[in-house]
Amino acid sequence: MIRLALVVTAKDLRLFLRDRAALGMSFALPLVLATIFGAALSSMAGGGRAQRVEVAFEDLDGSAESQALQADLARSAALTLQVRTEVRARVQRGAEPAAILVPAGFGEDVRAGRKPRIVLYRDPAKEIELQILTGSLVPVLMRSAGPGVAKELMRRGMEAMGFPAGMRAAAESMFDGSKQPADGGGETSNPFDFSKDGASALGLHVEDVAGGVNAGRKAAAGAHAIAGIAVMMLLFGLTACGGTILEEAQSGTLQRVQLTPHAGASILLGKALFTMSVGLAQLVVLFAYGGLVFDVPVLRAPGALLVHSGATAAAAAGFGLLLAVSCRTRKQLEGLSTLLILTMSALGGSWFPLAVVPAWFRTIGHFTLNAWAMDGYQGVLWYGKDLGGIALEVAVLLSIAAVTGGVAWHRWRHRFERIR
Amino acid sequence: MSSPEDRPLAVRVEGLVKAYGAARAVDGLSLAVRRGECLGLLGPNGAGKTTTIRILSTLAAPTSGRVEVLGLDPGRDAARLRARIGVVPQEIALYEGLTGAENLEFFGRLHGLSGARLAERVAAALGDAGLADRAGDRVAVYSGGMQRRLNLVAALLHEPDLVFLDEPTVGIDPQSRHHVFALVDRLRARGATIVYTTHLLGEVERLCDRIVILDHGRVIAEGTLDELRRRASGVSGRGARLDAGARVGEALGVLRAAGIEVRVEEDLPGLEDVFLTLTGRALRDEDGA
Repeated sequence: MIRLALVVTAKDLRLFLRDRAALGMSFALPLVLATIFGAALSSMAGGGRAQRVEVAFEDLDGSAESQALQADLARSAALTLQVRTEVRARVQRGAEPAAILVPAGFGEDVRAGRKPRIVLYRDPAKEIELQILTGSLVPVLMRSAGPGVAKELMRRGMEAMGFPAGMRAAAESMFDGSKQPADGGGETSNPFDFSKDGASALGLHVEDVAGGVNAGRKAAAGAHAIAGIAVMMLLFGLTACGGTILEEAQSGTLQRVQLTPHAGASILLGKALFTMSVGLAQLVVLFAYGGLVFDVPVLRAPGALLVHSGATAAAAAGFGLLLAVSCRTRKQLEGLSTLLILTMSALGGSWFPLAVVPAWFRTIGHFTLNAWAMDGYQGVLWYGKDLGGIALEVAVLLSIAAVTGGVAWHRWRHRFERIR
Repeated sequence: MSSPEDRPLAVRVEGLVKAYGAARAVDGLSLAVRRGECLGLLGPNGAGKTTTIRILSTLAAPTSGRVEVLGLDPGRDAARLRARIGVVPQEIALYEGLTGAENLEFFGRLHGLSGARLAERVAAALGDAGLADRAGDRVAVYSGGMQRRLNLVAALLHEPDLVFLDEPTVGIDPQSRHHVFALVDRLRARGATIVYTTHLLGEVERLCDRIVILDHGRVIAEGTLDELRRRASGVSGRGARLDAGARVGEALGVLRAAGIEVRVEEDLPGLEDVFLTLTGRALRDEDGA
């Protein structure tokens, strides 16, 4: 029995080793994905060179105190401070994940011992950047706002976390001699939440400005997830559609079609139209679902969304057809497409936002159509960009469609149409 | 009706060569098929039958030699020629996910049929295939015989002048084979020229006017069945004159006097005839699923 089992094992091993698609899926794909995720996650976790977050900074006060705050922020290892104007609009259109506005009167407040007011504009879609930003911002603000604010912040935190009164008093005594904040801050029964209580205690007025009427983490996560899944599944779906060429070649129906008088160019064109139609339908269903279930703002710029989806479907259709006419068999196509699409999806931001990875990773990612498709979708869905705002993304996707479609056409003619 | 020899040529091939690298799939082949004729193309695997048909039907280009089909050059006039030929491939070249009628409509449209003419041709083809009552079923649930018959009529929708049939009866039961034969008979009655390849020699006997046997890419024998038989038995050119109404005994005497060996055998029906007599000729269409 064991001997026969070994015979079966040896046979399966022989078949497996001769199946390049199975080998690729078993060994190459995991290695490629592990490399991509390893590179992305180690950067996000601060391994080696920590990821720096770009923050726009606008100073309407121009006092020594506001300039000191700017200098302090600029020294932060996690932040790259960009001095800009109209910072609210910049965050709104996705130029930076966050912006700090120092209003007029900041210096005066600090000098008078009042809680100074600072505005933080945020893009809720950039959650990871915002966490890095918050971590860097707190100590700077505590230093700039003075010990009274720090004492108030600590008091609220300890109270919310249930420290006994004695311990709270002992801790507060460390701030002896410090001035109390002007408005003091009342008792709260809510658990401590820095984004609300901490920010308020530090005089930070937080405003989420991107994402339109549905601004919020759920909608932001939904917009990315839906767009990411849509682009990745579009590639899988349309490659499968392109694969019908190979099925038909194998079954003989393609030859039968070719034997009709004027089939020629119509065959590949018909396949391309079919593939694009399926792609568009797939996108419509997914975004409708995203709108209904995750509040993804699909109707913010419907015209731009439709054009961008058309360009994305065209690029994916070109990619699928090129893969199909480049493979000998359906099985080969399935193996190669899985390897390529999962790699492209990981590199191109379908799984996690490219904003959280280093610049070199983003550059590589933009060699995939996924990255351009994702940029366009984020632009339309989250930042409400119109067609002009996503012209570059649409142009790149249409170029990808033209190049992949052109090469597919050339290979098709060479392989299927040329009478040899 | 004119005799076969007087009819113009439907296919003329002279010195045809098709080489793949150093290997020659067709090596100096010459043959002619007259209009309205049914030619049986025989040969073992690798003899060059399929390559020859691919060249004649515009799917492959010859390395050298002259080819003319229905007065056209398959290389230069592919589109015009494709409108006038029908090719029944050996494989079932149909869309399993479509119904029988949908398959025929699709191929009919590609041949330029539309409207009432298309509907008429599709209905006729379904009738010819014996599938009128199963037209709305998907091909995937058809039996092997049903698929074969649909495969055949799908190549005839545009009423081609020349039909290439590549082993059209592989894997089907005698009833369906009998039905295919009847279809070929109707094609012949319509005046179509037929090139029929098969490994089943009985089919050639039953259907073809003339036979060409290929081997190693060349014609090694050509003629009617009787001519080939005589050639094979070495009695070509020997004969004896019998008076009309001669009795069997007298006839045997005359033949023996002419030096012709005579063997008397009982003319028994073939196994297929026995099978069809016992089981009937009606089609047995059970689902293939």
